[in-house]
This record gives sequence, structure tokens and C-alpha cells, in this order.
Amino acid sequence: MLERRSALADAHPFAWAALTLGEVRGFTLTQAAVFDKAAEAQVAAVIGALPQENTRAIESNGRTLFRTGPLAFWCVGPENDDLAAQLQGKAIMTPLSHSRTRISIEGSAARAMLAKGLPIDLHTSVFTPGTFAMTGLHHTPVLLHCVAEARFELYAMRTFAMDAWEWLEDAALEFR
Amino acid sequence: MRLPCPHCGPRDYSEFRYGGDAENPRPKHGTGDLQAWHDYYFVFNNPKGPHEEYWQHVLGCRRWFKLKRNTATNEVIGVVQP
Amino acid sequence: MSFRRLSSGGLIDRGKPVGFTLDGKSYKGLAGDTLTSALLANDVTLVGRSFKYHRPRGIMSAGVEEPNALFTLHDGGRREANIPGTMVELIEGLQARTQNAWPSVELDVMGVNQIAAPFFQSGFYYKTFMGPSKGSWMLYEPFIRRAAGLGEATHDFNPDPDRYETRFDFCEVLVIGSGAAGIAAALSAAAGGGRVVLVEQDSRLGGGLLSDAAQASWLNDRLAEIAAAKSIQVRTHTSAAGVYDDNQVVLVERRDHARPDPTKGQARQVLTMMQAASIIYATGAIERPLVFANNDRPGVMLASALRTYLHRFGVAPQSAVIATNNDTAYETARDLAAAGVEVTVVDSRDDAALAKRNDFRVLTGTVVANVQGRRALYGAVLQGAHEENIRCDAIGVSGGWSPAVHLTSHGGIRPRYDAAVAGFVPGGFAPTHFGAGAIMGTFGLNAAIREGAAAGAKASGGTGAQIPAAIGEDRAYSVMPVWMPPKARGKAFVDFQNDVTAKDIKIAHQEGYHSVEHLKRYTTLGMGTDQGKTSNINALAEMAELRGLPLEQAGTTTFRPPYTGVALGVIAGRTTGKHFRPTRRSPLHDWHAANGGVFIEAGAWMRAWYYNWAGDSAASAYVKEMELVRRNVGISDVSTLGKIDVQGPDAAEFLNRVYVNGFAKLPVGRARYGVMLNDDGIVLDDGTTTRLSETQFYMTTTTAQAGEVMSWLEYLLQMHWTDLKVHVTSLTDEWGGIAVSGPNARKALELCFPGIDVSTEAVPYMGAKEFTFEGAPIRLLRLSFSGELAYEVHTRADFTTALWERFIATGKPLGLKPYGLEALASLRIEKGHVAGLELDHRNTLDDLGLGKMAGKEKDYVGKALRFRPTYQAAERWSLVGLELLEPEKKLRGGAILFAKGDEIKGHGRGYITSVTWSVELGKTIALGLYDGGLKHVGEEIVCAFPLKNELARAKIVSPHFIDPEGKRLHA
Repeated sequence: MLERRSALADAHPFAWAALTLGEVRGFTLTQAAVFDKAAEAQVAAVIGALPQENTRAIESNGRTLFRTGPLAFWCVGPENDDLAAQLQGKAIMTPLSHSRTRISIEGSAARAMLAKGLPIDLHTSVFTPGTFAMTGLHHTPVLLHCVAEARFELYAMRTFAMDAWEWLEDAALEFR
Repeated sequence: MRLPCPHCGPRDYSEFRYGGDAENPRPKHGTGDLQAWHDYYFVFNNPKGPHEEYWQHVLGCRRWFKLKRNTATNEVIGVVQP
Repeated sequence: MSFRRLSSGGLIDRGKPVGFTLDGKSYKGLAGDTLTSALLANDVTLVGRSFKYHRPRGIMSAGVEEPNALFTLHDGGRREANIPGTMVELIEGLQARTQNAWPSVELDVMGVNQIAAPFFQSGFYYKTFMGPSKGSWMLYEPFIRRAAGLGEATHDFNPDPDRYETRFDFCEVLVIGSGAAGIAAALSAAAGGGRVVLVEQDSRLGGGLLSDAAQASWLNDRLAEIAAAKSIQVRTHTSAAGVYDDNQVVLVERRDHARPDPTKGQARQVLTMMQAASIIYATGAIERPLVFANNDRPGVMLASALRTYLHRFGVAPQSAVIATNNDTAYETARDLAAAGVEVTVVDSRDDAALAKRNDFRVLTGTVVANVQGRRALYGAVLQGAHEENIRCDAIGVSGGWSPAVHLTSHGGIRPRYDAAVAGFVPGGFAPTHFGAGAIMGTFGLNAAIREGAAAGAKASGGTGAQIPAAIGEDRAYSVMPVWMPPKARGKAFVDFQNDVTAKDIKIAHQEGYHSVEHLKRYTTLGMGTDQGKTSNINALAEMAELRGLPLEQAGTTTFRPPYTGVALGVIAGRTTGKHFRPTRRSPLHDWHAANGGVFIEAGAWMRAWYYNWAGDSAASAYVKEMELVRRNVGISDVSTLGKIDVQGPDAAEFLNRVYVNGFAKLPVGRARYGVMLNDDGIVLDDGTTTRLSETQFYMTTTTAQAGEVMSWLEYLLQMHWTDLKVHVTSLTDEWGGIAVSGPNARKALELCFPGIDVSTEAVPYMGAKEFTFEGAPIRLLRLSFSGELAYEVHTRADFTTALWERFIATGKPLGLKPYGLEALASLRIEKGHVAGLELDHRNTLDDLGLGKMAGKEKDYVGKALRFRPTYQAAERWSLVGLELLEPEKKLRGGAILFAKGDEIKGHGRGYITSVTWSVELGKTIALGLYDGGLKHVGEEIVCAFPLKNELARAKIVSPHFIDPEGKRLHA
């Protein structure tokens, strides 16, 4: 078997009192897109309930689902999730597991650190658990998902992942 | 400046790219009329005031949309529904 | 001794002395001091020399409006010039220097400029140096710049070791200013529970209340309420620098007082992009000086500044004359008198009643006309009802108050003149903007508190809160301005920082520079670091009077951000050095770095340029790497290519529209080279697209245009061809790519993928094959950029390194090695493939010799405009190959091409786009664009490179230098 090598293979995760930075590996990210609501219902019949809100992810049958476009979804499941095969012919399926690097950011300083780069309102009353945003960090697209009040997952483009990591590391310095 | 992405809601302008004047209708595919394409591509008004333009939420959901914006005040009048 | 620290009073910590230096001399101040209050406490009143005339200058104010007391702080990379000492919190070890004086402020040789003063009047530079002989400005400018000026930037190029940060924040109500009105507004807005942010540029909350000991208990009670209110976030040391579209406010916070350590990630300054649902301006007002002869002498200060130094810092002169045209200065006089200062009030208003109710001397109907003393004043010369000279240590002046309307004007709403205020007030507000207190011309404390509370309620959309009244009655203002200076000998300054006098304004008027904007540019009035905070109104008023116009018709200058000086460092934030722009890395990046790859930046990408197995410089290595590919087999990282998933029932139709050549009938399992145009018929990009199934295509684009092409496809689908059922997704990050090129490429594949049929029957030229290899999905495409037998092997990004290592290991017996970008780009020149340097968004299909590719029958993007007459003209510059005829010379990219016999002048007949050494031909070859193109094959031309004074002869040939029949591709 060919060995997988993450974009962050050479990065150094850390865990401080106020902030933890790490990578989540071993997941399957599949994009499902359709052309109308009828097809969306067919997808729901396989996956389960789909998120109706554009800014809130839902957990469904072991997957986290994001509505990333009017008729498009990101489905983040466990490693070797065969969702693409299950939905073949029902939706346009695009595997993206290698496209995005999933960075976990946790701790009391997480919001303050992220506010240095993301032009979105990260206040606890606004960016509540479940909320996600597709936005920009250091000129590159990212998806930020609030998993718990003090835990976030940042999906960075793989080719920019090390850059995002280095940026976050630098932003984190004052919380060491 | 904040722009209203039709999918994500109001966002900082830094997430968007400008896509040009949206007031000239693009000739239909299959239209070989040189004059029509010329007028579409090269002839623009440059109004001081409300103006329709293309924007893409390029760092976000990648939606393209037509935005009506006042070029004199930067006031966003709204997304023009297709 | 004129100024001294009083034995009691002030918001300073008398138990904490703080040491600092000015021009190397040591002083002691107290914790809580500013640089200027500490200097006054040490009786240092001469702190600088003026901009043009090098006149001695002192401390004029106690706030952001300070025009004179500017200092250079710190040294090396930390050096900062033109910092108002009034805004510098004293910290232990602070090193300050005075500016614009040599060898010292006491003995400044440039002071002779005062003798040459007539030359420095308004318009002098323009008239003298920019007149008929233009050269003279060039000659004199360096001398003038040296003689006139402010502080200097650092002379060494050490980077600033401090750290600066930028961040985003959001709130419901942003309150700017924390005087009585701002405090009331914040408390009232917070009653609704929404997020309120209260910003204050000073080190502590209170604004004008800090200069009013009588309100201390009111202030302390309110500060306790603010501290208890969870929804109010307080930001002191923070200036609102600018207000932008949609209520975006730039806040700049200074943290020097906290001694930030950059090695611990602590920022010295922080810039916040604050997005506020509504904004309350409680920015107060700035006191104006009076214009009279020698009004710039050290010791002439704003009356309110004397009061601030007394109450906040416990610093006062022994004796003072207070010159005023309004009631507010009486508060200063009363407080100074109470502190034991010998006070005389000189009031230009002729109202005997004013004299009676005070326990200090009041001379009404009288003005200060001149000042005695040079480096420090010792007396005031009075004119009017009382003509006498009064000895004093300081003259406190109050010409009335100018509401601080700067920020409210940033959005484009001009301020309006209010005669009762004798100043400009906001000319209106956007629906989410509100004003309260002195900015509105409301000078009474209780009125300001009521106004603030009301604004807080409106801004938060709630009912607000009742705010207790201030202590005592509201003061009167009753201003009666006299704008023209009294007649006396000596310069009467209007703008202190730019050395603009009342006479300069008169000259500007005489010479026709009447409009405010002209006045500003002709005299330099209102420019500089203080942006005319103390001078604008006095100048406008004088000009209006000279023109015989009421002030409201004279107009104002435009206020632009920033309100106060902002360090460039904090605008950059951490966007410096490594983080100046994002860096994009291929999945093979780490392998290249660990195995002798040398990187080169290509857009955002870091690409392997060459490998040190082949040489220790690009120039030597790339030839060896080219030879490897031409004679054996090499592998190269092509992961940077744009890759796009095109799927849907109409995918084939969609591609058939965007490419000039046909894609509708491309069989499954086959790849095709395609070219796309912009709407105007110019080549946008090229690449290869493979059909994976009836409804799924795998598109590749050039590295450089990947983002553009992706956006373009989305634009067409979402905005124009909404009837097409196609979905496009970028796969650039999902798939890595390895090019395997050379006569032994197939052997290398066989060694790497044992058991997989890669014969020419199974994978013909432009064929594709999908398979899984050791758990990794593989897309094998037989295409060639080099002209050799070649393949691109694509696999998922995380597997790319392992696959690359497998090629290296299994290819060892063949002698397989990696080759870099330089060789890759050179091989394609030999083959005559166009790339980014030729696809420069100026060339048509025909210019690049690709016209025959385009479909005749079908429509495609750019077809109509492609045929417009300009693009079909015969004399267009189009693609040719060039061979260097003089081997000892060089061809260079960008060289200008001339026909033999042409005069070497102007734009020539074309230019060279790409150059390389051809290993195949053993000579230097190039691609270029030449007028008439291949019609000139065989002709000798001249390649000129004027930057290096080079001329070289070359021959025009076909751009396909090697294997024009394509035998190798099909091998």
C-alpha cells in the first residue's frame, strides 16, 4: 500500500493551557451536488436529513454535513466512507478528502486567535457550536466550523495548509 | 465595505472578487453578430449612482451574483435577482 | 523657574518616579505623566524648532491636536519620528529627542532662516523654483528639504523588532470618546444588553472630565458602572483613525505602556477593523488658539491645556495671563487661581459684568497683542481698553472651541458652520450614526449627558438608561470671535506646525488662492501630522473675512483618515516577511526540499527549479536535466497544474462551448488539447481535458491561470448558461501530478506499475487509463509537453510523495532522475509549445499559430470578436522560432526584434518571449512574436537588448525545433 503523507507531516502540533493546535486525519470529505430540489430529496433518502440552513452544519448518521451552496453539500464522514459510491447516479459526487487539510483549534484563546485573520463575527453569542463559515484566511479560502464553544475545525486548502498552519502558529504565540 | 452574498449573507469585501459591469446583456450562445458582441464587450456607461455589476464570493461559497451598488456612495442597493 | 510640580493634586502616582531622557539629558517624571507633563514639571518649555523658520517652540496643548511638541522616540529599527509628546505615556527609560534643530534646540543654526524669512512666505517655492527654469527645483530641493522639516526616519535599515497585530471585531454600538457624553451614551446603549464598545484615545476614560476636579465623584461613579456592565468593552489607548463604508471603523490601540515583548508574541500596537451596527460620535471639541504677534513663543498654550496639566498632572506655572473670547477659559482661570497661580484674564469681549464676579483680575475689551520673550516668554503686551504689559510665565489662550467633526466627515458628509458655536458641527448623519456632546456644539455637561443617553438609546434600539446629572450648573460658552490679529510687530501664526502666518493667508488671498482647497495647497496650511486641528478654523475665518463672505459660505477642507498619525507597521500587521503573502506548496514540496531540489517562486507556488544532482546552479543544471529527458527518462512535479472536475449531463456541450476546438465527440478514455478564449477573442488559457465517462471530464489548466479559468467557468454557468446542467469543482489540491518523460518513459511506468498494461495499444498517444495501485487511485494520461514519449501520472495528493518515491526507486536501473521547472520550460521551447510567456492576454489564436484548431461550424466563446478586423490584420506580430547566428552572443527574453537594415530605434517589429539552450541542436534558440510571423522564415534579423547595449543576429525559423512530425510522441 502506498503511504499517505499529510500536508502537515512536518508541522508541530502543540497543546498549551489556552490553546491547542492539531490536525485531524483519517476522514472522508465528499461533495454532493444536484440540480434541483427533487434530486436533493433523493440524496436525503440515502444520507438522512440534510442541513437546511446555509451557516449551520448538522450531524447525521456519523457524518457532518455542510450546505456549501444552494444545491451542494460537503459530507465529512469516517475514513473509507463509501458515500460517493452510494450516491453514484443520484448526485454529482466529487471526492475532496485530499483537497482539504483539517486543522483543530481548541482552547479559551481560540476565538481571539482566529479573529486576527477571519473577517467574520466570532463572538460566542453569534458563532455558536454548529455554526460554520466559508471565508478567507490570509487570502486563501477556508471553512471554519465551530464544533464546541471552545473548539473549532478549520478546513484549509491542502496546498495552502502549511502556510495556514505557520500563520496560525505565529498568531498563537502570545497565548503560549 | 460589506457585500451581501446570496448564499452566505453579508460578508467583508475582502472575500469577494469584482467581475465587471453587468448592465450589458451578454449575447446568447450561437450569436455570431459582431456588432452585438462589440456593444456588449466594449460599450459601457460609467454612471455616478446606481450600477449593476458582477461579484463572486470567491473565498467563500464561490457564488456569482449581480449586485446593484451606488458608485458615488458605495451604498449596496441589493442583489439583482436573475 | 516658571512651571513646576505642585505639592498636591493630579492623577499621578507621586510614589513612582519614572526616569527618561530628552536629547540625552536625564529627567524624572511620575507614573501617570505624559512626556510633555513630565517636561513641564521639570520646567522644560522649549522642546523644538519650527518647520520653516526654526523658531523656538514649546508645548501648546495636552492632547492629539499638538502641533509643536513633536519628538523622535527610540532608536534603530524602533525609531519613530513626529510623535506628539502629549500622547506619549511616560515609561521608564524612554529616550526622546527634539526635532529639526542642530546642534540643539537652544542653539539652532538654522535659526538664520528667520532672517531670510521673506523667502519662506506662501508660494515661495512655486514662484522661485518651479517657474520658467524647471531645473532649479531639482537643484535646490535637497537643501530646502534639509532646512525645513520635521523628524527623520531611521537611517539604518534594521527592521522594526516590535510586533504589530491586526484583527477583526464586531459590535452593536461603537462609542468614540469617553467624556461625559460618551460615558452616558455607552451606559445608555448597554441597557439593551447588546455589545457596546467604548474607545478612548487617552490612557484613561473621562475626556474633559479629567481636567475638572469638581466632577471627580460623578466620573468615578460612572466608571464603576461601566466596569460592572458586562456588555461594555472598554478600549483605552485606542484611536478611531477612520470611518469607512458600512460602518467599518479602524481602531488603533497603543500598548507601549504595557511593555510588550515581541518574542512572546505581544504586539506593540493593534489595529482592529471594527464592524459596528451603529456609531456614536462623542469626540468632543478642540480649543482654538488666538492669532496675535509671536503667539508661538514657548509658554503660549491653550487655556484648556493649562487646566489639564493642573488637574491631571499637578503641574502649573507661577503666573499666567488667560486670553479669551468666551466663558470657558474662566474655569481655567478660577482653578489656577485656586491653586495659587497669579492669574489675569484678558477678555476681548467688552462686558464689564464679566470682571465683577471673579476673585482674580479681569480686563475686558482687551486683547493680547504681542509676547515678550523669545525662548521662553516673560510677559504679555495688551491692547484695547487696558494698554499695559503684564509679566507672566504662561499665556493661556482660548479662541473658542472647534467640535471634532473629523470622523463624521470621513463618510463624505460635510460639516456645517454654526454661528452660535463659532465652529463647524456635523452636517448630518447616516441613519446608524449619532452624535452627542461637544461635537454637536453642546458644551454644558448636563446637556451633553442627556444627549449622550438619548443617542445611546437610539443607537441600541432600546429605551436607554437614566444617567445621573453632573455636579453643578452647566457652564456658559458665549463666544464672540475676533478673527483678525491685532496690529503688532512680529509674526502672528495661524498654523504652528507648518509655519503659516496671518500674513501668508493675506498673500494667498491677494494672489487669487481664495478657495479653501487652494489656500491649503498654496500655503501648506492644515497639512502635517496634526492636520490643522488647531489652525483650520482660524485660517478659514481670516480668508472669509478677507473675501467679505460669511464663514458658512467659505467652505471647509475635506477631512480624510487617519484622524491621528498611524504607524505604517500596524497597517501591515503581521503581513511581513514570511507572511507577506501566502505560499503554496505542492504535495511533493517536502521531498524536493529533502532531496536537493532548489525552489523558485512561481506566483504563490514554490516550485522545484532544478535539482543539485545536475549542477549547483540553474544555468548548469537545466541542460543536464534536459539531456536526461531527451536521451533517457526523467520525472517532474506537475502538481501545480490547475485541475477541474467538470460533471453533469451537459458537460460535453459546456466544454464544446468554452474551448475553440470540439469536445462534444471526444471518446471516453481519451484526452484532448484545448484552447479557450476570452469574450474578446484573446487566448485565455490552454490545457488538456480527459473524458472519464459520458458525463465526467477531468480538465487541466496552466498553473498560472488555474484560478482565473475556474472563476470563468463558474461565471458562465451561474450567470449566463443557467440552462446547462454542469457542476465544476477545483481538484487542483486533490490530485498531485508526476510527468514521466523521455524515450524510456514507458519502461519507467512498467517498472513502477508491474502488472499494469501500459503498452501503446492500451494507452495510445492522448489516451487515458484509470486504475488503483496499492490503494491509490491513478489517472494515467499519455500527453507530452516536452515532445518526447511522455505521461502524466496523477494520484491523490496524500499519495503523491509515495508514488514519486516509487518511481525514483524502481527507475534507478534506468537512470531515472527528477528534473525541475527550468528544464521543463526549456524542453517545451524546443518543441515549440506556447506557455505563459506567449499566452500573455494580448495574443489571438492566429498570433500563436493555433488558428486552424478552431471549429468552423460550432460557436465558442470569443468566436465573434476573434474575427474583428484588427485581429485579422496581416501585419500582426505572431509566433516564430529564432536561432542565434552568433554563438558568442546571447539572446534575452524581452529583446526587441528588427529587420536587417532597420534603424535600431523604437518598438521594432516584435520581441523575444522565451529563450533556451537547445541540447538537441547545440545552439541558442528562442520563441518570439514578429511582424508577419512565419512569412519571414529564413530571414536574418537583429535582436536588440538596449538595457545591456547588446545586438545579436538571429534567423527566423519554424517554432517546432525538434520532431515536427511528432514521431517521438507516438512511439
